[in-house]
Amino acid sequence: MAITWRAVALTALGVVAVLLVPVTAMVVGWTVLVVLLCGVDVALAASPREVAVSRAVPGAVRLTEQARSTLTLTNRSRRRLRAVVRDAWQPSAGAGPNRHAVDVRPGEATRVRTALVPTRRGDRRADRVTIRSFGPMRLAARQVSLQVPGRLRVLPEFASRRHLPSRLARLRELDGRTAVQVRGAGTEFDSLREYVIGDDVRSIDWRATARRSEVVVRTWRPERDRRVMIVLDTSRTSAARIGDLPRIDASMEAALLLSALASRAGDRVDLIAFDRRVRAQVAGASGPRLLPALADALAPIDPALVETDWPGVVSAIQQRLSQRALVVLLTSLEPAAVESGLLPVLAPLAKDHMVVLASVADPEVAALRAQRASSAEVYDAAAAERTELERAAVTVRLRQRGVEVVDALPDDLAPRLADTYLALKAAGRL
Amino acid sequence: MSAPATVPPPTQPHERGTGSASERVTTTAPTVVGDGTSARSRARSRWRRVVWPLAVLVTLALVAVLIVVLRPATSTTPLAPDNPEGAGSRALAQILADQGVDVRYVRTSGQAVAAAREGTTLLLAGSYLLMDEQVEDLASTEADLVLLEAESWHIHELTDGAVDLGYATGTGEVDASCDDPDAQAAGSIDSDGYGLTALSPDVELCFLNGDTPLTGAYASVEADGRRVVVIDDSTLFMNARLAEDGNAALALRTLGRHDSLVWYVPSINDLGGEAGTSAGAVLPAWAGPVSLQLLVLALALALWQGRALGRVVTEPLPVTVRAVEATLGRGRLYRRARSRGHAAAALRAGMARRGAARLGLPRSAGAPEVIDGLARATGRSTEQVAHLLYGPPPTDDDGLLALARQLDELESEVHRT
Repeated sequence: MAITWRAVALTALGVVAVLLVPVTAMVVGWTVLVVLLCGVDVALAASPREVAVSRAVPGAVRLTEQARSTLTLTNRSRRRLRAVVRDAWQPSAGAGPNRHAVDVRPGEATRVRTALVPTRRGDRRADRVTIRSFGPMRLAARQVSLQVPGRLRVLPEFASRRHLPSRLARLRELDGRTAVQVRGAGTEFDSLREYVIGDDVRSIDWRATARRSEVVVRTWRPERDRRVMIVLDTSRTSAARIGDLPRIDASMEAALLLSALASRAGDRVDLIAFDRRVRAQVAGASGPRLLPALADALAPIDPALVETDWPGVVSAIQQRLSQRALVVLLTSLEPAAVESGLLPVLAPLAKDHMVVLASVADPEVAALRAQRASSAEVYDAAAAERTELERAAVTVRLRQRGVEVVDALPDDLAPRLADTYLALKAAGRL
Repeated sequence: MSAPATVPPPTQPHERGTGSASERVTTTAPTVVGDGTSARSRARSRWRRVVWPLAVLVTLALVAVLIVVLRPATSTTPLAPDNPEGAGSRALAQILADQGVDVRYVRTSGQAVAAAREGTTLLLAGSYLLMDEQVEDLASTEADLVLLEAESWHIHELTDGAVDLGYATGTGEVDASCDDPDAQAAGSIDSDGYGLTALSPDVELCFLNGDTPLTGAYASVEADGRRVVVIDDSTLFMNARLAEDGNAALALRTLGRHDSLVWYVPSINDLGGEAGTSAGAVLPAWAGPVSLQLLVLALALALWQGRALGRVVTEPLPVTVRAVEATLGRGRLYRRARSRGHAAAALRAGMARRGAARLGLPRSAGAPEVIDGLARATGRSTEQVAHLLYGPPPTDDDGLLALARQLDELESEVHRT
């Protein structure tokens, strides 16, 4: 039950009537009249409970892209439905105008569409659908809020995909598909071909040359079918916000770019998201199915405010890996967390696998370090300096154990990690 | 009736750029009809929602009614005829009523003036709340006046300048020592008031103060054809002291002179004006119904705006703290502890690390090598560089700031080479 502005206007007209006949009975009479008219209007309104509502939503949409929620309203009553329909969503679903006026004859159906431009990654859910059905005089209305479930999975934006073409070009250079042959130690033998000026003389295969009349060189190609295991740390350190986004979002970007690159390079990519338990995992997906699977697995993950169980992470990795692999830890280079958690259990992992630790650096710390305006700011600068020194010290200790460390600003992390991957591949260290 | 085919044409799955995960599958939820309630279940849930607030309201109303009904008809106003406490005067009022005097208790000057006809007594108990206009109104009545503890200028006004307040202090029990029959009947009283002085020979001044001559506690004068009695101490009429000395006789005789007594205790809410004057009398006849209609309009406006189109949707927010908070916290700790030594050490170590890295020195390089390297790169003396990097910690904040700037300068010079 709700009244409209018309009922209010009718009541306001009563002021004129009372001015003409200034007695209390007039007030009572006019009020009774308005109430009666509203009651009649409500009684004549189509029942909103006899409207069949169904919803259609795209299953998933990438962050910043637009989706549409479509409601189909079928009028099953014998009266004409004049209504306002509100399709309510969580604020971060970014619903556009979500109030729709509809006019449906008995037995007919209509569709209303609400544009959604999600502003946050994860599962965005629809709230109630509210139907306010007006009577023929539009004085009053019946209203009901229906639970019509709807879920829009918002995938990570994958803004770092713009870095992919240049990295793929470098990969093709490695791969011998282009004219330039890049050599690395320990790469796989591919084939023999005729020497052309410019080839490294060290790659001449003298035995093959002796058998033939021309000088022959060996060609190599990078290893294929290596395994890449991406470990996404979803603990408290990933919840910290850098710029406008939590650390974990930058880590996801890096994971997506690396996966796209590695799957094109012919490597197998697995992913686990871990804090004290496995929050999500993707295993065995390859080719075009990999990225959708990854995005779908990563989309609903929010950091948990717990400390990472690093022994658990290491055993989870070792369970899943039987051969040497590239293990990428997407975590943060927080001195205390790394010293007490990761370093003690790193040795067996670093012995069996190539370990890369990728961490999101904070541009605010760098800005803090450079400020000199007052003595108070110098104390902050000193604190920032101390933070960076500790990060540097931890980095040194990690490198001493054979771990590659990538510490980059949120926007740079994905390309820097991709570059590290390419460098390791070129050097045959996978 | 079954659900119509409502699936819109599915958007074509298209891969953008590198083919990331953008599933364009449209899912259709099952059709929903109604919210699963019937008219009866809605009525029941509405009743259930409303019953407790309603019960509380009804209880409150009952309690309020009971309080009003059961409240004793007494007050705590000093000198009021319905106040049974020590500072009240209910005893006096009850005795007067028993003796056949009609006591009328009023709180506004309008009521007092209306009730004070010729042949009545008007008691004014305390006058400091009265405005000059109200006193003039009281002066214009024809009733006999009894002024209890009135202000000096009010006494002046109401006695035509015949009596004034004296400035004496009480001296204990004194005899009437005058010809006034009421005072003589009382015999002796013990007044704590300031005393009264006579400015006119017509004034009968009684209970003269022994210490201050020509000052008494009681004065009576015939002014404008009526009798005005002034008593300087109101405690004489209060329940607590009524039985002392000749207080009761004095009070009963002064107030019981006529059959009708108007007992006026001024109120702070009274702003003067005629008796029975209310806002309603000055407004036109249509004002009442129109304001009632405006009230109904306001109610309609509230109903119109108060009904929301569905509930407010909340956002489950993730907990995200700025990553820099920890560093800022450490900076505040340095500042609060005035830990210049630690701060300077951090700045120096950071500069040395970056300088050494830029010069290509190994991480294991010791202090002398770093100093030598930096001195060579910047063209400064080794003592200067050593003092900057390994000198004593600054002793004040300005020193710390200066050190930070000097380190910046040194670092920029390293950069140039």
